Amino acid sequence: MRGMKFSFLCKKKPQPTGKRIAIVGAGPAGLTAAGYLVCRGHDVDIYDKMPEPGGLMLFVIPEFRIPVERVRLGAKELEEEFEVNYYPRTKVMEGERLDEGDEFYERVIRLSELKEKYDAVLIATGIWNVRRIGIPGDDLEGILSPLELLFWIKGNKLGYVPDEKVPDLRGKRVGIIGAGLTAVDVAFECNRLGAEVEIFYRRTIREAPAGAYEINILRNRGVKWFELVTPKSVIGENGRVKAIELLRTRLGEPDETGRRRPIPIPGSEFQVPVDYLVFAIGMVSTPPVNGSYLAVDRRGRLVVDERHMTSVEGIFAAGDVANGPTKVGRAIKDGLYTAVAIDKWLRGEL
Amino acid sequence: MERKYLYVDYLTCIGCETCQTVCDFIHDGNPYIRIYITENKQYLPINCKHCDDAPCIKVCPTQAIYRDEDGAVRIAEDRCIGCLACLQVCPYGVPFYSLKVKAVTKCDMCAERREEGMEPACALMCPAEAIQYGPLEIVMNLVRERRAKNIPEHQRELTEEELRKSISSGFKVF
Repeated sequence: MRGMKFSFLCKKKPQPTGKRIAIVGAGPAGLTAAGYLVCRGHDVDIYDKMPEPGGLMLFVIPEFRIPVERVRLGAKELEEEFEVNYYPRTKVMEGERLDEGDEFYERVIRLSELKEKYDAVLIATGIWNVRRIGIPGDDLEGILSPLELLFWIKGNKLGYVPDEKVPDLRGKRVGIIGAGLTAVDVAFECNRLGAEVEIFYRRTIREAPAGAYEINILRNRGVKWFELVTPKSVIGENGRVKAIELLRTRLGEPDETGRRRPIPIPGSEFQVPVDYLVFAIGMVSTPPVNGSYLAVDRRGRLVVDERHMTSVEGIFAAGDVANGPTKVGRAIKDGLYTAVAIDKWLRGEL
Repeated sequence: MERKYLYVDYLTCIGCETCQTVCDFIHDGNPYIRIYITENKQYLPINCKHCDDAPCIKVCPTQAIYRDEDGAVRIAEDRCIGCLACLQVCPYGVPFYSLKVKAVTKCDMCAERREEGMEPACALMCPAEAIQYGPLEIVMNLVRERRAKNIPEHQRELTEEELRKSISSGFKVF
């Protein structure tokens, strides 16, 4: 197998410009931007809190969608052929905040420090937090974060997570709330590990973001699909999840996303017993700042202008940290165009 | 020169849009590979298949469509008269008439990149390894190798019970 060729625009490193760029986050946006920038002759250093580059592609998205080797070899090529330096297990942060995957980092560097040391900084830290649902009982033992569960499973295979971290799901009943790409990936992995999986979704299969095609593959593998239900509370016993209480819903008028809004039907409560629960209802951007150093919007995304630059001159942002959860290809697109902007800015053309 | 193939494997594609993105980038906003989404949300990247028995080559009244040395089906823009006969016969509806170029444009298997000794960008960047480029034999081997990884039995740990049954009676797991 060959790796992704992030430097697809050139065959070898051109005459060096002497400019140094720090990229924070080694996911699809960060690596693709690095590929473009090395092809323009800049020196690139990449910081990432995980033990090796690849981001969600390597640590979260299941192997059958994106092979580990495909990402690994691609990152390695940047290092070997284009002299990109990786600083793994290094979290870049201005202020403090707990994110998922924080157990992997060993060092912290301040963003302002990188700003001093480099000619330009690109932030591509993605979405490493999970949206909480905020219903009674949502902090019981047995409620797993979709992100954590996926990177435990994959990190264990890669040798970074000890066996005891990965819950033994064989024969266990796992309830998943949500029908996005993350929910579907969690369902695939739990099913593969021998769990009895049930997906609960508040709209119907026609509105599900993951699509009927993916969901029907899961159903053929024995996953149960339960639509038009919304969680009301989690029932526990001795501090552990025992069941989920659901309300039936009906669809009302279309909302701002164009999909019909689910309306809970009062008095329709019922319970489904579960051993584990996963709320896969969305992920949140995790910029390397908490406080006023950089401007963020209401949903925690970094605010950028048409030059892909943040509120601080010389600090750029690309990928999910600026756009919210999207697809690998859109992160790559943003990484490419941001890299073009950085190159122009460094040459004084922007 | 040996005939090359650019094959997009729909069963391996994850619909991430990377191919369309890089194609868009190197062709100034006009991607020659585009993702179509079906009613049930299957993702299908569609580009020129560079068919062996290409109907567009046969039907073109001005012989503007030809096959280059790597096997790519190409368009000689100066000979194209814009009659769209190629679009009529293309099973994938690939030929696109560009009002700017005043000729039909479509995927040329990254002709400019090939001249510089580089491969088509979509195949290099696809994270899922769904796009393969090269001589037929090699492409088909790579596709088989990649497909084999996605057979559910290969991804799933069998329970003791299933393992016992599969040995004793040919019991099939999904």
